[in-house]
Amino acid sequence: MNLEDELRSALRRREPSPDFTDRVLARVAAAPAPHAARPWVRWVAALAASVLLAAGAVEYRHYQGERAKSQVLLAVRIAGSTLHKAQRKVQMLHTAHRSVS
Amino acid sequence: MKTAAFLTVFLLFAGLSPAQQVKWNYDKLAARASETVDVSLDGALLRLATKFLSDDNEDEAKVKKLVAGLKGVYVKSFEFKKEGEYSAADVESFRAPLHTSDWQRIVGVHSTEDGEDVEVYIKNEGKAISGLAIIATEPKELTLVNIVGAIDLDTLSELGGHFGIPEVEVEKKK
Amino acid sequence: MPQRAPSTAGALDFAGLVRQHQAMVFSVAWHFLRDHALAEELAQEVFLSLHQHLATLESPEHVQFWLRKVTANRALDVVRRQQRRPMVSLEVVPEPVAATSAGDPMLGETLRKLVATLPEKARMVVILRYQEDLDPTEIAEALSIPVGTVKSQLQRALALLRAKMSRSLGEKAI
Repeated sequence: MNLEDELRSALRRREPSPDFTDRVLARVAAAPAPHAARPWVRWVAALAASVLLAAGAVEYRHYQGERAKSQVLLAVRIAGSTLHKAQRKVQMLHTAHRSVS
Repeated sequence: MKTAAFLTVFLLFAGLSPAQQVKWNYDKLAARASETVDVSLDGALLRLATKFLSDDNEDEAKVKKLVAGLKGVYVKSFEFKKEGEYSAADVESFRAPLHTSDWQRIVGVHSTEDGEDVEVYIKNEGKAISGLAIIATEPKELTLVNIVGAIDLDTLSELGGHFGIPEVEVEKKK
Repeated sequence: MPQRAPSTAGALDFAGLVRQHQAMVFSVAWHFLRDHALAEELAQEVFLSLHQHLATLESPEHVQFWLRKVTANRALDVVRRQQRRPMVSLEVVPEPVAATSAGDPMLGETLRKLVATLPEKARMVVILRYQEDLDPTEIAEALSIPVGTVKSQLQRALALLRAKMSRSLGEKAI
């Protein structure tokens, strides 16, 4: 038994209840409109929200950067090892040719 | 479940990534492959990546220097369950875009012993290298590389043969 | 750079996003919490949050990244608040609807129950790895933990699951 394959099978995605989407949309529609708050409360809330938004964007940028880094390293490894293999074969051919002549 | 999204950060139109120098169409090959590694990084993503490569790590610092100024790095590697899943005609279709006056084949190695062939092409713009293309074939694997920009081949090869290169898990998309 | 979609709620159709991602969000919650009602409640709250934050998300890929991260962390919060550890039980638990699997359903159910007994962080790492096919770097980003921690947790979790499966099934080696 391959445990990882069995885990993929066991943990495959499942659908929630058939009316899940409708219930979410209903909750969104029913969400109360934010009532007017005192100006300083609104200012603090806006600042907190903007910090959270910035944090979210920063996190995503970090995620993109780390992924890009992984991909660059992978690409260099593949390209480099292929090139290195070619150079080694050429060197071996040169060596073989010199030993024969 | 992730399918075609792994490591691919671009939408692929007709098998061609944006800003890729070589017009390779590998859709059919990808469909036959049991595992695929797909890296597509344009200049903007390469610049972002260099910000995350460490100057304190020797290999990462070399990679950082290597990719600085590059305009794109595109790698496609296909693994097949059995031999014979791709044909000589498939390989020739990948050579065809490189049969132009601005591409020059600098290495062509054919090994009957292990069935591994490697061809290396450089693109010249005046006296400068402006691109690199590699076609590497093995009985059950085919790799295509296109690097856009002035690449230092010695450093790239050195990194490829260096045991210290960071161990990157080759996660493959199915 | 990935193409940046217009960051308006209209451009990223909310209802469409719910339908597209509901299985992912619900399944992460369900596999983690092993409580259908709680998982649906959590999934609903995640989508309510998505609705509030939609205008800040840059692209469909950003939405997916955001949903995975928020779902995983909210699920961890639920367990930490409740400080409950699911018990391995032989009781047959009604299963949510799933696509047909070629695997052994009894084995699958045993594995799911064993996964549910893992420590919370390790459990989530396993779910993100095998349900969502994320690589360690992506899991690290979702859970805001070092990549090394993800890898060691994954290793330990697999070893633990192998040992528990052996005892459960009476097999000598898995």
